[in-house]
Amino acid sequence: MSKRREHKIIGLRSTLLSIALFLFFILLSQQFDPYNQSQLANIATLLIAVLSITLLTGASGQISLGQGAIMAVGGYGSALLVTRLGFSMWISFILAIFISALFGLFLGLAAARLSGPYLAGTTLVMALAIPSIAVRFESFFSGDVGLSVDYGMPPVWLTNLVGEISIEEWSLYVVLPFTAAALFAVLNLSNTRTGRTWRAVRDNEVSAALSGINIQRTKVIVFVCASGLAGLAGALYGFRGLVAPSVYPTDLSLTLLTAAVIGGLRSIGGAIFGTFAIVFLPDLIEKITKNLAIPETIGNYLPALTIGTLLLLTVILNPRGAAGALEHIRHRKKH
Amino acid sequence: MTSFLTAFFSGTAQGAIYALVSLGLVLVWRGAGIVNFAQMGQAMFTTYIASQLIQHSYSYWSAFVIALISGAALGALVDLGLMRPLTSRKNSQLLNSQSMRTTIPVIASLGILGVLKALAGIFWAGEERGFPSPVAPNAIKIGSTNLAITGFDLFVIGVVFLTLVLTTIFFTKTGMGLAMRASALNPEVTRLSGIKVGSVRTLGWAISGTASSLAGLLVTPRTNLSPNTLDLLLIVGFTAAVVGGLTSLAGSVLGGFILGYVISFVNVYSAPENVFIAILIFLLLALFIRPQGILGSKEVRRV
Repeated sequence: MSKRREHKIIGLRSTLLSIALFLFFILLSQQFDPYNQSQLANIATLLIAVLSITLLTGASGQISLGQGAIMAVGGYGSALLVTRLGFSMWISFILAIFISALFGLFLGLAAARLSGPYLAGTTLVMALAIPSIAVRFESFFSGDVGLSVDYGMPPVWLTNLVGEISIEEWSLYVVLPFTAAALFAVLNLSNTRTGRTWRAVRDNEVSAALSGINIQRTKVIVFVCASGLAGLAGALYGFRGLVAPSVYPTDLSLTLLTAAVIGGLRSIGGAIFGTFAIVFLPDLIEKITKNLAIPETIGNYLPALTIGTLLLLTVILNPRGAAGALEHIRHRKKH
Repeated sequence: MTSFLTAFFSGTAQGAIYALVSLGLVLVWRGAGIVNFAQMGQAMFTTYIASQLIQHSYSYWSAFVIALISGAALGALVDLGLMRPLTSRKNSQLLNSQSMRTTIPVIASLGILGVLKALAGIFWAGEERGFPSPVAPNAIKIGSTNLAITGFDLFVIGVVFLTLVLTTIFFTKTGMGLAMRASALNPEVTRLSGIKVGSVRTLGWAISGTASSLAGLLVTPRTNLSPNTLDLLLIVGFTAAVVGGLTSLAGSVLGGFILGYVISFVNVYSAPENVFIAILIFLLLALFIRPQGILGSKEVRRV
């Protein structure tokens, strides 16, 4: 099979998968009440950020505990463009990708010199420091109060087309095209020459360098791509209502990493599964604690306990995550 | 002048605590090649144990000792129960790749941190509580003039100084300390000379747990105690370890004191909300100018 043809098939597959994801979310939202519809929009938003970790950690082996901070960069970038300069929401989302990618470029230049724990620690410090910049330069970033932004009202042509839609549904419709596009981009990136280069760097830097790969440049490029994705997610996340330091806490960064690990760091399907898990699991636990009449002082900590335990169990028993386990079962059935 | 002295003394006392945290991080890093992000979670947990004991009218010092012992036990438990099985499993496909061997323990330590925080929340409720100190936190007076240093500052500096002296004696004069240094330098050769590298590594985790537990006991009288209080201490301790050199014990202590002064002077001469940004800038500067740290040795990669 010629190389050209291989690429064509991959392109078709990723297009179909992205459309399938889009339709799946739409169909699912029809079954849900407004609260769960907004949770679904959250999933679609956070999925973009989790995909950025799948790229960064899964494909190139760099770890970031500060994706939430990069989301804040995207969120503030787009919110400032809309509130101060009067840009349209859609353009500000696109520009948020470039703003955070630029930020990722600077970060990547520093990060390419770092490995493993150094990178983890530095990004963790960043996750704490960046929200505090918003408080420090209060006149520009509005401090703790934050900037109020929202998705606005659905346009008339859409309501004419599909009838009356709720605010929750509209937020899903705004986010979904970006999610599908992000999925398309990540699928294509990881299955092409670029993605193979990244994996080579991840698996063995020395042998990758000997094959003529520029390690530093590759790492920076990965960082830029992942930051662009995270920034887009941050912009969409902020437009739910508010862009403020409290919207992008350190825990957000860790939650995103947890989603990626639980699902399987190297799998895109795993990223989708993990994002569903971290958004819906707390709701599920809340329901259970209410039914069992567990006091609130304990119930408040149960989601964190469950997610932390899941993370530990995944790392110990099955480091490849849910996707890895699935593959393992499938493999066994064949034999 | 007064504000300078205030900044200097509070910087020394804070720096002493940061030095303990950073020492704990470096001990584990040298022994196991892991940065333990759960370290201050462990310290938070043992400080809660001490606080609980004091509430049940045990004396401060018995609670103090029990907290240190449980810190050591928790450290050893993390190594034996999690990190050792995790890093010794060579056949796993994921751990075969170079970068993942360092990434997976980091994720595991974050998992421990999350679980410990949640457990502390469940056991001891989430609200902040105070933690007593054996010395009154009033400024020391000579005659009628207030000195810029408090009795509690002196207590902290004294305890940490004692700890550092004991640690130095342990590492330079005892056989076990020598074994620890050897196995950090070259595990293979150390194993060949008949030293149980695994047990030595676990001892490193235990000492690290004790040091960070002590840091927790010393910092909470000022910051109060909640499941999240000690997060900041981890960040500062990590920065201190990087500034001083992740591979050097002396460097980690030096880094701790440097960070203590940086933070204290930013607090006094600038504004408290600038502290995070100062830490980030300081860390990035250190990484650009001298990535191996002030006293660290340059990593040699063998092919």
